[in-house]
Order: sequence, then structure tokens, then C-alpha cells
Amino acid sequence: MKSALMMATAISLISAATAYGQEPVILKFWDNQQTESGLSQFQQAAVDRFESENPGITVEVTTIPYPEFQQRLLTAVQGGNAPDISTLDQIWVAAFAKAGAISDLTKMASDSDISRDAFFPGAWDSADYNGKLYGIPFNVDAWSFTYVNKALFAKAGIDPSSIMSWDGLKLAAEKLTDPANGQFGLGLFGHKGEDTVVVTDSFIFSNGGSVLNSDGSCGLNSPASVEALNYLASLVPYAPNGILNASSGDMRELFLNGSLAMEFWPALEQPTLQKSDLNWDFVAGQAPEGKTAIGTYGGWNLAIYKTSPNKEAAWKFIEFMTREDVNGDVVDLVPANIKAAKTFLEKNRLGAERIMKYLDNAKARPLSPVYLEVSDAEMAMMQDIYSGMPAQEAADKACKVIDAL
Amino acid sequence: MIKTDKWMIWAFVGPTVLLLAVMMYYPMIGTLIESFYSTSFINPKPEFVGFSLYNKIFSSGNFGIVVRNSLAWTIGVVFLQNLIGFGVALLLNQRLPGQGIMRALILLPWILPGVVAAILWRFMYDPQLGIINSFLIGTGLSNTGIAWLAQESTAMIAVIIAAVWKGFPFSTLVFLAALQNVDREQIEAATVDGASALRRLFDVVLPAMRKVIVVNVILTTILTFNYFDMIWILTRGGPRDATHIFPTKIYQVGFGQFRFGEAATYGVLSVLMLSVLVAFYFIAQGSGRNKRAKA
Repeated sequence: MKSALMMATAISLISAATAYGQEPVILKFWDNQQTESGLSQFQQAAVDRFESENPGITVEVTTIPYPEFQQRLLTAVQGGNAPDISTLDQIWVAAFAKAGAISDLTKMASDSDISRDAFFPGAWDSADYNGKLYGIPFNVDAWSFTYVNKALFAKAGIDPSSIMSWDGLKLAAEKLTDPANGQFGLGLFGHKGEDTVVVTDSFIFSNGGSVLNSDGSCGLNSPASVEALNYLASLVPYAPNGILNASSGDMRELFLNGSLAMEFWPALEQPTLQKSDLNWDFVAGQAPEGKTAIGTYGGWNLAIYKTSPNKEAAWKFIEFMTREDVNGDVVDLVPANIKAAKTFLEKNRLGAERIMKYLDNAKARPLSPVYLEVSDAEMAMMQDIYSGMPAQEAADKACKVIDAL
Repeated sequence: MIKTDKWMIWAFVGPTVLLLAVMMYYPMIGTLIESFYSTSFINPKPEFVGFSLYNKIFSSGNFGIVVRNSLAWTIGVVFLQNLIGFGVALLLNQRLPGQGIMRALILLPWILPGVVAAILWRFMYDPQLGIINSFLIGTGLSNTGIAWLAQESTAMIAVIIAAVWKGFPFSTLVFLAALQNVDREQIEAATVDGASALRRLFDVVLPAMRKVIVVNVILTTILTFNYFDMIWILTRGGPRDATHIFPTKIYQVGFGQFRFGEAATYGVLSVLMLSVLVAFYFIAQGSGRNKRAKA
């Protein structure tokens, strides 16, 4: 009897292990932590659910702080120790694809239920490199929403909706700036960081300009782009001192203590503001009169590494993590799955409809394998402009660097 | 030396030599080789390009800026850190009440992790909320807050001050140990002969500490030249390129732009420049010794 019981147990264990394939599979999944939202708890719950739905597959989640994530991934890829799956910043996908580090998922996607219409178009496009799909959108956000301190607006007699146009934004910033009393209209930042670039891009996109033209040449010095850059430069008098070393995080501090009337942040900012005593609202970007505000996409895609021996299991995990009923539980930005995003935003964010519309309209940054160098040139350009260099001259200088890449 | 001794020597030294070779010389030689290849993340198959990366760097305007900044940063930090470190060591060497606690407290900045110290200084330098500007405005020394880290004219000075604050306890510690080894009889004899405190310092104390001072200066030069965290966290090499030094440039090119070959080239140039700096100290030390010998 005892031996029969042991035999039965052994058989059931083996069958569980072989339910997926021949051998138990251990998937290594690396993700980064951008916020302190306790996300890993929810991710672990989702992983448990995935494992129960897929006997034989075990997922080992490694969460790496955001500032270290890129370096750890690069080192792992160079050393041949890449995980099976990881989240990849949208702006890294092209470089990882060109380097041959990640797998082409086009066929896997076409053979499955995963399709473009389930995701925000800009997010889906951010995983496209040379017409092939190298990632599945996991989470998204857009730069930038303009958050307003409603009390300061009311005191100055300004209607927050007036800042939807460039003229309105500038006028409000001017009225709300009172340096003698430590109050500033607008939180401009120009440090050497990607947040500087994405905000700049949204102004350029909203004026019909571009960072790279369709032929890959630099578009920063086109008339539409330069007009947007000149506009940004014209806002400098209404921003706190020290733009060249200021980040979005620094502006958040000033916004939270009431000395800043407007700040640029993605929807990710809302949980912080909800915890504060501020009376706030937001506007989804700005554009010149008669044009539509276009945001810059930010977010992460899920990619499978070429060195992974478990691609089939990894794909199953991606399908699971981007599913409508799971995606909203495992992200700290906005779910990339549109239906999951709608539910998530209605439950967790103010102005869900405005956010959805802005996300739907947002544009990805250039999908270039040398994007990081393009971005560096753009950061240098903004530092030049905020230092007083004429926008056209700074843009020409940046384009010289970009076109030589 | 008998044959068995030779084998014994190799048995003891061998593991250290092997460790040094694997952990130190292999990466260094690898970096040197990499600097002749245009390797980048998106182009992992190395392509031999000879000295073209060196040419590219030399002909770019950035290289001169990085060299100038590295020199200003290293000389500024080393000079001030050792000067302040020595002054504090002299104070702590006096028989004052609460000396033990003072010696422990003085070490605090040095014990703090580099990242924490940098973040602390970032808060202090904040143009709107920082304690430094609050003090300046409060005392009437300035009407508006100064953006210390955002102006090209003040950023380098600001990062040097932060690094000196972090590093001076190290110099204090070394100098204090050396001061306690200065022959007290010589000092007392000089005092009896009527030498002033300043005279005793220059003619008795400093000559006795000479070797320690030289070693400390060389050590702090190497540590400062390669110091990354402070500048990276405070300014990321900005505003524009006002505080870019070799380590921040290497990081930006390597991990910020995935261009490993060019980062390696900067690395090789950085080692060469550091070697020149250290050699300069050795030469200065040698010429000082010769002059004294002749005298």
C-alpha cells in the first residue's frame, strides 16, 4: 500500500513537471522598480497565478532599482548571462535588437491572440525595429501632463483650461510668477536626463516638428521644431532658478510645497499628489492655437532574450502579463493593454478619459539603435538653449552631431 | 638560496601574482586592446580601427574640456583636502577636552557612503530649498538664491567643496597618526631654543612628516582623479560640460551611449594622465630630496 502511494505521488509530480514540456522550466524575469508602490507584492501574486495556470514553469523574478537596471542588463548580455525575459525601456529596444540580444517576436505574436489593436498604438510601435516586433508593450505613460495648483490659479483668477494653448500657458506662467515671494509659474527643467528630452519632444511634436525625419536625418532644426524650442526658451523667466541642473523630481518638491504653480509630469505623478494636501488638477499637454497636443511616450516593453532556452515558456509568460485581467495588477505606470488601462485609470487616476485620449495620441521617441546618442545631443541642445544660445544655433549644433552618427 | 626555497617562494607568491594578473592586469590589457576596436553594444563584432578612436577623441572639443576639468578637480580637491586635513589634525593633536569625541565625529563625512554624501550636498545646494542659500539670504549676503550646480561659473567649485568635505577626514586621520610620531624631544628642544610655533611647524614637524605627506598626496590624487559618485550625482558632468571629468565621461560614453570602444579609449587616456600626475609628484619629491642632500 505504502509503495503504491509513493508511486502515485511520484507519477503525479512527474506529470505536473512534464505538463508543459519534457522538463520543468525555470524562467528568469528581470524587472525594474521605478516607484515605491509595493509593486513586487502584486507581481509575485501574478507570478503565483501564472505558475498555477502553467504547471511545470517556475518564474524567478528579480527586481532591480531603475538607476542600475540598464547597466545590469548590458553587463548580463555582454557576459552571456541574460535573463529569459526582461522589461526594456522603449528607447533601448532598437539597440538591443540591432545588437542581436533579443528575439524577433513577430511570428509568435501573429500565431497568438496578441495583436496591435489591444495596445496603445505608440506603445506597440515602440517595439518595432525594421518592420519586426521585438517586444510586447507592458506599461506606458506620456510626458507630459501639466499639473496645476488650483488654489494658486484661483487666487490669480486664471482658468486652468486656459493653459491648453501655448499662449495661455505663457500668460498664466507670467501671472503666477512672483520671485520676491518665492513663487514661480512653471517648473522647467533642463538637467542631463531623459525627462528633459521627453518634455522637449512633446512641445516639438505638438508644433508638428520632429526629432528625426522619416529618412533618419535630424529634424530638430526644422522651422517647426525651432519654433517650439524658442517657445520653451521664452518660458525661462517664469521658472525657478537653476534650470540646467533641475530635474522633474526637483520641480515636484517645489510643486508639493506650494511654491510652483505648474509642473510637467506623466500620469505616474498622480499617486504622489493624491497623498498630498494640494488642491490640484491637470491639463493633457499644450499646443499652439489650432493644433493638437501630442505627448511623448514613455514606458516598458517585455522582450525575450536570444540566449533563452525557454522561449516558448517565456512567450506564455508575456501573453499572461499583458492580458486584460492581469496587466493592470503588475504595472506601476499605466497598463499597455488598452482595456486593462481603462479599468486601471478609472479605478486609480483622476481624469481617466483625458489620460486615455492623450495616450492614444502620443508619439514614441525615435526608434533608432543610436537613440541614446541622439538623446544626449538633444540634452546638450537644451542646456545650450537654457544657457542663452539662440535656438536655431543650438539645434544646428545638435543636428551636426546627430547626422554624423 | 637553495632550490627548495625558490619553490617555496613561488608557492607563497604564486596565488597573489595569479590574482593580480586575473583581477587587475587582464582587464587593463583588455581595455587597452578594446581601445583599438570600434566596439559598441549595437556592433558587438569588434572591428580593428587602429588609433582612429584616439584621433576622434583628440579632435573633439570635449577632450580638452575633460582634461582641464580633471586637472582643476583633482588639484582643487587634493590641495584643499590635505590643507584642511592637516589643519584639523594639528587641532586634534592638542591636548584639548573632548578630544576623543571630536576625533570620532570628524570621521563622520568619510564614513558616509559616497552616494549619501552627494545627495546630502545636492539638498544643501538646492537653489530654492537649500540650507546654503537660506543662510546667504538670511544673513543678507545674497538677495536671491544662487544655483550653485546649474551655473558653469560655480559648478566646479561647488563639487570640489562637497568632495573636500567628504574626503578631508581621511587626510586628518593619516596626518594625525604621523603627528603623533614626530619626535617630541625635537619639538621641546626647538621650543627651548626660542623657536616660534610657526618655525617649529616648518622646521621640525613638516620635515618629520614629509614621507607621509607625499604618500597621502599621491593616494588622494589617485582617489580623487577616479572619484565618480560625487560629480555624477550632483551634476552628471553638467551644466553643459562644466564638471565632466574622465570617470563621468567614461560612464556616459560606455553605459549612456553603449560605445564601449570609445569608453575604453577614454579609460586608457585617463590612466596615462593619472600616471603623468603621479610621476610629477615623484619627480618633485626626488628633486626636493636632492636639494636637501646638497644643502
